Amino acid sequence: MSGLTFRLSTHPDERLDLSPLTPGRLAKLPLAEMLQLVVGTTKRQLKVGDLFAISGQPGDTVTIQGGSEHLDFVGAGLDRGTLILDGDAGAYAGRKMTGGELHIRGRAGALLGSGLSGGLIAVKGSAGDYVGSMCPGDKFGMTGGIVVVEGDIGVRVGEKMRRGTIIARGSAGTNAGSRMLGGTIWAEQGFGPAPGALLRRGTLIGPTVEQMLPTFADSGSHDLVILRVLSRYLSAMLGPLAPRPLSGRAHKFAGDLATIGKGEILIVS
Amino acid sequence: MKANGITIDDTFAEAFGMSATGVIITADSPKWARQAAVTMSGFGTSVIGCGAEVGIDRELKPQETPDGRPGVRVLMFGFSPDALLPQLKNRVGQCVLTSPGSACYAGVESETRIGLGAGPRFFGDGYQTAKRLGKKRFWRVPVMDGEFVIEETTGVRTDAVGGGNVLLIGNDRAGLLETAELAVAAIGEVRDVITPFPGGIVRSGSKVGSKYEGMIASTNDAFCPTLRGAVKSQLGPDTVAVLEIVIDGLTSQAVANAMKAGINTILKDGGGKGVTRISAGNYGGKLGQHHYHLRELLP
Repeated sequence: MSGLTFRLSTHPDERLDLSPLTPGRLAKLPLAEMLQLVVGTTKRQLKVGDLFAISGQPGDTVTIQGGSEHLDFVGAGLDRGTLILDGDAGAYAGRKMTGGELHIRGRAGALLGSGLSGGLIAVKGSAGDYVGSMCPGDKFGMTGGIVVVEGDIGVRVGEKMRRGTIIARGSAGTNAGSRMLGGTIWAEQGFGPAPGALLRRGTLIGPTVEQMLPTFADSGSHDLVILRVLSRYLSAMLGPLAPRPLSGRAHKFAGDLATIGKGEILIVS
Repeated sequence: MKANGITIDDTFAEAFGMSATGVIITADSPKWARQAAVTMSGFGTSVIGCGAEVGIDRELKPQETPDGRPGVRVLMFGFSPDALLPQLKNRVGQCVLTSPGSACYAGVESETRIGLGAGPRFFGDGYQTAKRLGKKRFWRVPVMDGEFVIEETTGVRTDAVGGGNVLLIGNDRAGLLETAELAVAAIGEVRDVITPFPGGIVRSGSKVGSKYEGMIASTNDAFCPTLRGAVKSQLGPDTVAVLEIVIDGLTSQAVANAMKAGINTILKDGGGKGVTRISAGNYGGKLGQHHYHLRELLP
């Protein structure tokens, strides 16, 4: 595995935009130009060279050592290769990613994977609000790809999500899957209050729901083949990152009947 | 030449280029996966009259199927992808969708795709939903025992082969059938091939054309034992029956492997059961692109 390593040499006292640091964007840049890339977001115009020590050669991997909640847009626009952040990420990590893999070995801030359309995002810790959601000005949230968060996820995960899969090993906060148009959110430790508000299509999977909206109809317990298909697909795609396999047994709640009601919350044991 | 007392004609099987597609059918048990597959394969013996040649390639273990349930792979051969499309739609819609507990997935992987769930999903009358996983989309059609899951497309290839064949010729009709059954079972172990006729065996081999207008094919009189003496027969005086095994395969190599497996079995088991000769059907080599010379397939 060849690649570059960016070691954070000082704690940033302003928010940074690290979207330039992807394998694709750095592939043909000489070191001198890498050092001049602007990553600051204030009039100081902080450059890579002001904050990071660089080692290695351009390749299919970029590693950022040292995390901070001020590191925004980590892996934004990633289209190939692997980006590893050895620490915490700020907001917008993996925004508008179309391919490749983003591994965050710490916590992630808000809007992780917003507008994601392809590739994999794996977060070792928890993630903030609006994971896989839309940003103001976007038409949709996630439209593809997979997000795996080993901890908990904040509120409104999957807001206006259209396709793709979000997995939380922990729980999901309030209003998960609100205004969702498709895709799958799987919270292994369950959902907070009112998941699926204005859900049109799509699937929310979890063992519990803190408070079910009255606009979801109890459709009974079933053996759903699609859950087996989903489990095997994720197992093939994610390997050890995959959630535990599902048997197919689920209690289905159909909704949100305040809209077209083609979505579902599946309670699995 | 002779082997184990059986004469092997110095001839070849002549086969044709065809289009092929396939599906994987799963169900709660191997019995019901097979039931749906058998039903879907019905009336799928010859492209001449059935629109497609359809058969079971093999049974699949749960770990080999997309949903982890027991499955069966069905292959379907036709003149073109366009000709396969209505056959696939009708057979899946009438025979797999209707079968208890079934699900249906792509059985051939290829860049070129044809609709699989594209038709049957409308049975859901608007209640159907889709789940896209990676590059694949699966339809969930509500039915009376739960949901029918069907993949949106399956692969289709245009380099498949139809019409590989072996002729068993002998003096004991029952022994001949028994040997043919063993050969079909051996061919069943070869991947990517089907033997589309009843039980894999055809007793009404045909020649091209007929004295009657409009008939594309008619009985292969040269191989009909009861016409011996009255026509230009290719059968010896002791022959009482001829059976044919027709093989379609996704690749030419698969057809060759299947013929080899069949011939090996016939040579091994057929001598004591009245098989006196092995031959193959061809049209002089001018119609089909694929020629399988029997002598090249001997053990």
